[in-house]
Amino acid sequence: MSADATNTGSLPSKKVLGLFALAMINVAAVLSIRNFPSMAIYGWSCIGWYIIGAILFLIPISLAGAELATGWPEGGGVYAWVKQAFGEKGGFTALFCEWSNNLVWFPTVLSFIASTLAFALTPALATSPYYMFTVMMIAFWGTTAIAYFGEEASTKFGNVGVILGSIIPAILIILLGVWWLSSGQSLVLPHLTLEAMVPTINFSTLPFFATIILLFAGMEMAGFHALETRDPQKDFPRAMALSALIIVVCTVLATLAIAIVIPADQLNLASGVMQAIQYFFNAAHVPWLVAPMAVLITLGGVVSLAAWLIGPAKGLGIVAEEGNMPPLFDRTNKYGAPVAVLVIQALIGSLIALLYVFLPSVNQAYWILSAMTVELLCIVYILVFASVIKLRYSQPDKPRPFTIPGGKTGVWIVGGLGLFGTTLAFVVGLMPPSFFASNGLAYVLSVLLGTFLLAVPPLVFLKLKKASWKKPAVPGRNV
Amino acid sequence: MNMTPRMEHGLVLFLVLMFLIPCAMIIFVSTEVPYRVVPGEPVKDAALAAGITITSVKDTTWNLTGATGGKTYVLTDSSGNTVTMSTQAFDSAESRDAAIRLYNAHPVGRGKPVGSLLVVGQHIVYVTPANSPILEEISGELKKMNGS
Repeated sequence: MSADATNTGSLPSKKVLGLFALAMINVAAVLSIRNFPSMAIYGWSCIGWYIIGAILFLIPISLAGAELATGWPEGGGVYAWVKQAFGEKGGFTALFCEWSNNLVWFPTVLSFIASTLAFALTPALATSPYYMFTVMMIAFWGTTAIAYFGEEASTKFGNVGVILGSIIPAILIILLGVWWLSSGQSLVLPHLTLEAMVPTINFSTLPFFATIILLFAGMEMAGFHALETRDPQKDFPRAMALSALIIVVCTVLATLAIAIVIPADQLNLASGVMQAIQYFFNAAHVPWLVAPMAVLITLGGVVSLAAWLIGPAKGLGIVAEEGNMPPLFDRTNKYGAPVAVLVIQALIGSLIALLYVFLPSVNQAYWILSAMTVELLCIVYILVFASVIKLRYSQPDKPRPFTIPGGKTGVWIVGGLGLFGTTLAFVVGLMPPSFFASNGLAYVLSVLLGTFLLAVPPLVFLKLKKASWKKPAVPGRNV
Repeated sequence: MNMTPRMEHGLVLFLVLMFLIPCAMIIFVSTEVPYRVVPGEPVKDAALAAGITITSVKDTTWNLTGATGGKTYVLTDSSGNTVTMSTQAFDSAESRDAAIRLYNAHPVGRGKPVGSLLVVGQHIVYVTPANSPILEEISGELKKMNGS
């Protein structure tokens, strides 16, 4: 850590974020090109799956997030919200689950970044664990370095990166789809009917339900940046609406564009998004766009990584600032970045990435780790939805510039749908895939034990908490 | 502050271990599939051994470094369940493992990847949907081919 990283105490709160920047934080966290081919394989029924995801998660989390962020525009995001409803233990657990979910998820997004970049350079590079690990570490520590320079630098990088790496590629895919339609090319999908849009939900597809619920996870990310927001009461709801609109339009239209061009049997999901993009661009007679697209999608991956890397780390910095973690975790630099948390996060993430890359043939282990990330994230959202309902009763008079319409009935419907979706996702997330059938119980116990271990540290920290950890109150901060 | 630095460092170590222990344990207790040449067509052989009907077969080559070809099978059982299993052989352990890494780097949103992936010697077997009674029936046969 550098000399300027020795400050402990309050995070300087420079108000640099407006509506656009807040919306872009959410878009960066949620919109991902790599989802499109995976969803396109479902043809027209992807519309039905997206509607399920929107009703049971996207709309509830956007409304709940807007109400909570405007009612409690304090630093910490989910920590601040859940703490109001369920106390420090609940808030710290929610935040820590989001943070630990990240640490297990980082290697997958880093691996995606490295393999996509290899596609732009020489695809064979992806077979080298040394190349993979080097690029993964450059991306990880590089993003951590951007976070080190505080909110202003992160915002500039995020704004440019999300437009170049997520929105422009999505628009390009949509435009090519429109061109495909208007030029009279044959569509690989049958005619659109209401029946075709209805997804098949049975025992075999049930695990996909958990996936679809978390397709839009990250809509709460802007909430972590409340302290740096110029006018949170006004900007949060509008940013939620704007980001949801961009995400839904880009996701649905780009998925359909791929689905109408690439036959389902060619959408081999085992071979990744760039292979689908290559097929798509070859079919559209623009093969020269593949390499630039790979670079843009790599950038999109980095921006997504940055959004998830910075948000929960800032939240943990707030937790430490409030005295729930030892002062070491509270170290900030002159840019206001929680350097200690960022460095610890980068170290743990690097070690997990090392295991991920150099022990690659244990495919089942990856599956269990993915399942753990699903369970951890479900815990976060269950607590958030429960909080928005509870706070209507425990703090009914608290001014909320944005409230979920419909009074208590409305909040029960919105929170209830979110609770239903995330609880169901938690339960089906425990279902072992068929290749674990012979030792399904061991699978479930592994996932539950891993989830428990990654969720329990806040309780240990709170148990060992000392009065000396707490910093003096910061003027203007409502903690 | 005398005890604090030691306690702080202990808590940092605790935090690091709380992440590494479950991750490392899961990785180390999972069955590693060594790269070796498994003769024949694993899915076809396993399906026949389990009494599953193969309704269609198509040659397929994935656009991946080291992929040397494979087949896409549509399997149906007596209960009417259907599953698509796509196999691909790889010319080296590195290319096969890179393909496994690539698959796992493609979760949908913050969830899991679509379908399931099995490893049989030099082959990767991609299965959709992930939970299928057919896969449950033949995964035992496929595991036997790995010598486990």
